[in-house]
This record gives sequence, structure tokens and C-alpha cells, in this order.
Amino acid sequence: MNAALSAKNLCAGYHGSEALKDVSFSVTPGDYIGICGPNGSGKSTLVKVILGLLPPTTGEVSLFGTPQSQFKQWQRIGYLPQGLQFFNPHFPATVDEVVRLGRLAGKRFPKRFSREDALAVERTMEWMGISHIRGSMIGELSGGLRQRVLLARALVNDPELVVLDEPTTALDPETRENFYKIIYEMNREKKVTVLLVTHDSATIGKYASHLLYLDKQVIFYGNFDDFCNSTEMTGFFGEHGQHLVCHRH
Amino acid sequence: MNITEMLSYGFMQRALIGGSLIAILCSVLGIFLVLRRLSLIGDGLAHVTFGSVALAMFFRLQSVYLTLAIIPIVLACAMGILKLAQKAKIYGDAAIGIVSALGIATGVMLASIAGGFNVDLFSYLFGNILSITSSELIIAAVLFVIVITGVCIFYNDLFASTFDEELAKSSGIDTDRINAVLVLLTALTVVLAMKVVGIMLISALLILPAVSALQIAKGFKTAIVCAACIGVCTVVVGISLSFSMNLPTGATIVIINFLTFLCAFAARNVLRRS
Amino acid sequence: MRWLVASLLVFILIAPGCRQQEQQKNGKLQVVTTLFPLYDFAKRIGGEKAQVSLLLPPGVEPHSFEPRPEDIVRVNRADLFIYTNPVMEPWAASIVAGVDRGKVAIVEGGKGIPLMKAPEVKGHEHEGEHAAVDPHIWLDLDNARLIALNILAAYTSKDPANKAYYQQNAAGLTKDLAALDQRYRETLAKSSKKVFLHGGHYAFGYLAKRYGLKYVSASAVNADSEPTPAKLAELVQLMRSEHLNYVYTEELLSPRLAETIARETGAQVLMLSAGHNLSRDQFERGETFISIMEQNLKNLQAGLQ
Repeated sequence: MNAALSAKNLCAGYHGSEALKDVSFSVTPGDYIGICGPNGSGKSTLVKVILGLLPPTTGEVSLFGTPQSQFKQWQRIGYLPQGLQFFNPHFPATVDEVVRLGRLAGKRFPKRFSREDALAVERTMEWMGISHIRGSMIGELSGGLRQRVLLARALVNDPELVVLDEPTTALDPETRENFYKIIYEMNREKKVTVLLVTHDSATIGKYASHLLYLDKQVIFYGNFDDFCNSTEMTGFFGEHGQHLVCHRH
Repeated sequence: MNITEMLSYGFMQRALIGGSLIAILCSVLGIFLVLRRLSLIGDGLAHVTFGSVALAMFFRLQSVYLTLAIIPIVLACAMGILKLAQKAKIYGDAAIGIVSALGIATGVMLASIAGGFNVDLFSYLFGNILSITSSELIIAAVLFVIVITGVCIFYNDLFASTFDEELAKSSGIDTDRINAVLVLLTALTVVLAMKVVGIMLISALLILPAVSALQIAKGFKTAIVCAACIGVCTVVVGISLSFSMNLPTGATIVIINFLTFLCAFAARNVLRRS
Repeated sequence: MRWLVASLLVFILIAPGCRQQEQQKNGKLQVVTTLFPLYDFAKRIGGEKAQVSLLLPPGVEPHSFEPRPEDIVRVNRADLFIYTNPVMEPWAASIVAGVDRGKVAIVEGGKGIPLMKAPEVKGHEHEGEHAAVDPHIWLDLDNARLIALNILAAYTSKDPANKAYYQQNAAGLTKDLAALDQRYRETLAKSSKKVFLHGGHYAFGYLAKRYGLKYVSASAVNADSEPTPAKLAELVQLMRSEHLNYVYTEELLSPRLAETIARETGAQVLMLSAGHNLSRDQFERGETFISIMEQNLKNLQAGLQ
């Protein structure tokens, strides 16, 4: 079976400085990967390279067996970025319009919305519990609700791979838990492959099946059992650090 | 002076029709430009047009050939603004400022080197909506069809790119191409409409109706339709008012637009409280 | 790097000086003028003994002109600086202020010529001394003669040795102006219409007054103000009520307003040049003030028949 995602010897950076060095790993469909690392470790850079938003200096990425540069089936991937680039709280789009935008992925020219798209949007909004605010303006929502809308947008195509970049940093603990629950459900029941970037290495152990620990290079990649039994990791993180990640697992 | 009398004059009819067409164009494009912080691109491209006209006059081109010659130059400069913003690590507004200043300076420089032209170059910056010719009306209509068709075809992509460029890119949208489409449509509008209504009106119509619509619209499509309506209404009201109150037309339209903005702003505050 | 800047500075300072050497060597009187009629008269009166230049580059309208540093330098190096009057060229005041009066003789071409009032724009009435004035004095051919005489006086006072030469040239010029005036009188007396409409700014007040014509213009004296739609409608009504078949447009600026009026009334557009400045082509053809006014007369005759 094809790997959902595979990276080989990736090097990438901005304006000469290197953010990723020689990163290689492979993801089996259905895995739930937690990508962790300290600040500046290149987690977001890795996500951008995977999605084609930043070209790697060397190395290759394949999505569902196709090299990244030739990949066109964007409806199979759902992306929730760390923060919208210039988020304008007065942007005049309704929740409905934003979620529907997700349906553009993988459409061919001319891109028109059909009845099918409307139904998918309805379904997804119900599932995410945001149908009641479908007519609200996205800029007027609280941080938590907004994240839910953007998550709905990422999931509206029923993607096979979902990439989430620090989705819960600005959320309160209860909303955070809700979020993780939804994603976990998706992973368990629909076998959606999840890549979740977080600096919260303590909680990730509760849901993820695999851990990718980055610090410009791959420090560790594998499933949690391996991580918890590895003496090398004890050496790297210290007993307490390792325990923090593992106790939840 | 009543309405029937006003409408009996050919120049008033043309002003109303031509003005309305251009207003709709500018208002619709304006929504995208304002949300992307490229509001002053109309002003910038108008200055570029000025420089291009000087360049064309320098090579002794006239009338139709002059207009045909400046279109590619202005389109190229519009792309230049995009590239500057991307590569030189500066925001769109500074990129516009650079190209704008360069446009005016080129015009002034060329006028000086050429030792003068046959027609005063600066009068090119000030069109007059009251002196629209029939052929200019046709140009405005053709421009209208091109731009509105372009916006309709690329509507969803434009919306996605304006909302968040990275997100759009991850959906497989070629954001570079979409940005180019937007900027080129704007450039075409500025070049062709500047001669008709002048730099003041073009700049104002690209910004004000959009900003007013954004105050009150709930929804992106609603915002666009609202902006177009505001654009047409302010132009029609402005022209009519300038006729009955003996005021300069262009300036009246701009003031009406500003008053509309104030109303929209007030309405938004009232709605918010309820 | 410092070396580069220094040599650049030296170059910038010396370069204009080099050009100056050429000018002063030929021993002629250096004359700088502001508008075309002054340029034309000064050239004719000065003949071979003067080198006359015009500050306005070809094709540039005086109302939007801004003197450059080079212009101010040129005036400073001249023997004579001739302008019309402070109302016509408000920018001349800044040039005059910086000039060394010992060396350069400032000549007000319109000295002693009374200024007419310009019609008020409705709603913009001025009071007292700030009433709008029409500075286009040279379009009354008798005033043109007086201007020529003022210029002659300037020449003879700067260069008394060649007084007779200048006087002879001036006499020729004033004779031609008088003859032109006579032709205007005769031709316009025979015209059936006595009203003419101009799509440009208000410049022909003096000419209209001299020959008993009524003159209406679309814009006011100031070329910047644009006509309101009500004003345009008024002009269209005037065309219709007076049965005018021709409307005039001004030189150098856009003819669009005249064309709009023409389109509305089925009239035709003719050129009526106020002579402020010429286009590049006109300079190359060697047009003079008199040739421009003759063309104007032809167009007036055609339009008013």
C-alpha cells in the first residue's frame, strides 16, 4: 500500500538560513503523527514543504505516491494553518462561504459550486456543530469558533490526510479537548491520516500513534511505544521529559 | 432645471451611462484591492499611465496608436508592482509607491528632454466625465464586459486568494496567476477609464464604494453586489446633483461617495448595538 | 567612494558653467522671455543683435508651468527678462525676487496697459481688489503695439549704441500690427454673427471688446477650474439661440469640451489660439505672433459668417 506521505532527505530554509536538514520519514495511511519540537525547529516549515507552499532546497516529498510537484488531487488533503496570514477581523465572508471555499480544492476550471458542494458543506457544518452560525461573519467569531470553521473548511472534502499546524494554541482547555476529540474520532472511525503539529508534547501522547520529534533534524520518528522504551530518548529528554510524553499513552 | 431637461443633453446621457459602467467596474475590483491592501494601486497605475503617455508622445505617437501603445506598458508596470511586493520583501503599498513615483518622474523627465510636446501632457491626467465621446462609451462598454466576465470566471479563486493566499495555494489554486489577473484587470481599467473620467475619480471609485460596502455587507458576494450598487448610485446622484446645483461633476461624485461612507459607517454602528 | 562623490559634485558644479561660456562669447544681448508673443516681439526688435529665448518649453501651457533651477540661472545670466504682468505669470515673481537687478533689467511687457475685469463665475464672486482680472492683454492688437514699444524702450536703454537699429525693427513690427488690426476690423465688421463661444479658458476678452463682439468661454480665467454641467447646458442653449455653427477650442490644452458642445449642437470646431505658447510643430514651421493671429482671423471669419 502506498504511503500517505513520504519525505526523503529534505532540506529547506528561508533566505539562506536552514530550517530543515536531511529530514526523512514515511507515513502509513491511518496513522496519527504528532509533530513536536522546540520553537524554531522547523515544524511549520516542514508542513509548508509538504503542501507545496515552500520549495525544498534538496530532497523530495511524495503525497499518496505522487511526487509533490506533480500532485494535483488537493481534495484529498485538508490543511488548517497556524494562523491566517493577515487575518482581517472585518473580512466580509460568512461562515457558510468560508467552509464552501474548501470545496475548491481539486476542482478544475471553471470552478463552479454545485448542489453536491452545498450538501457537503451542510454535512460538515452539522458535524462540527456550527450550523447555527452559518450566516455569521467569520471575523466576528471567537477564536475557538473560528478555528472550528476553519477545521470544517479543511474537512469539507472528506480528505484522507489532514494537516493541522498548532491548531489549539489560542484556545481554552475545554475547547482544546473538544478539538482533539473530533480529530481523534476522524482518525479512528474514518481512518483519516493526521499530521498534527504542536509544541504541547505532553498532551499529544494521549491521541497520536506516532511521534516525529524535530529540531531542524529528525530527533525521533516512530510509534510511542518505541519512544517510551528508548534509552536514547531518555538520554535526550531526561527522565522527566520522557515521562511527560509517555504517561498519557 | 429638471430631470427631463437634464437627460435631453447628449453629454449628460453619456456621462450617466459611461460613469455608471466605470463605477461598477471600479467598485467590484475595489473590493478585492481594498481587502488585499492594494487600495492605492489605482492612483499608482494612473501615474504610470502618465509616464507611458509621455513615452508614447516622445516617439510621436498619437490618438489611437498612443492608447494602444500605453496599454502594454501599464500592464507590465502592474506586474512589476506584484513582483516587487513578492521579491523585494516590501508590502504592496510601498511597491505601489515606488512604481507610482517612477511613473510621474519618467513623464516629467521625458517631457523635459523632448523639449516639449504638441499637447500639454499634464492635462492628460484630468479627464472630464462631461466630455465622453461615443467611441469612448463603446470602449467603456467593452471594458465592462471584459472585466466583469473575468471576475465572474475567476470569482471563486479570487475570493479564496483574497481570504488567505496560503490557504488558497494549498487548495491547488495558482495564486500567482490569480494575482496577475486581478492586477491586470485593474491596470486595463485604469488606462482606459482614466482618459474618460480622470485620475481623481478613478482612484476614488476604486476605494470608496468598496469601503462603504464593507461597512455593512454580510457576506462576500453581498459585499461585491453592494459595492457595485453604491458605485452606480453615487455616480448617478453625483452627476444629477452637480447639474442642478451648478457644481463640478467629478468632485461632487467623490463627496457623495464620502457621505455614503459616513452613512454606512453610522449604520454599522447602529446595527451593532441592536 | 568619497572620491566618486567628490568628482560627481565637481562635475555637477562645472558642467553648467561650461555651457555658459558659449553663450556670453557671441556678444549679443541675452534676452529671456516668458510667453510666446513677448518672445516673438523681442526676437523681431532685437534682430541679429539679440539672442532671445522662451522659458516655456514647446507645448507647455503657462498656467501649469513651474520654473526649474536651470530657468532661474538662465534669467540671472540674461541682460533682459521680459514678462507680461504679475497676474499672467505669478511664477515670474519668484524668479524676479532672486535676481540681481543691477545686471538684469526686468521688463514688464504690459506696463501701463490697463487690465480688464474677467467675468465672475457664478457663486465665486470676489470683492474689491481681489476681483478676477483678465491678464491676456496682448490679444488687443493695440495693446500688442504698446507691449512692443515697452520692449523697444528696454532694448534701447540696455544698448543705446544700437538704438536706431532697434527702432527700425520696432517700426516694422508696429506697422504690421496696425495693418493686421485694420484687417480684423474690416473683416469682422462684415460678419453676420457677433457672438463667439470658446471651449477653453477665458482669454479673448480684449479681442472681443476691441471688435465689438460678444465672447463666452466654458472655463473661467483660471484654466484649472472645470465647467459645471449646468454651465455646459447654458453654452449649448446659447449656441442654439444664437444659431452658431462653430465653436472654438484653445491651443495646447484638450479640445474635448469644445468637441462636446459641438457634438451636442451639430456645430464644427475651429482653433482660436491665444498665443500663450506654440506646439513643437508650430515652432518648427516658424510661426510668428502675426501668423497665429492671421489664422485666428480666418477662423473667426469662417465661424461668424
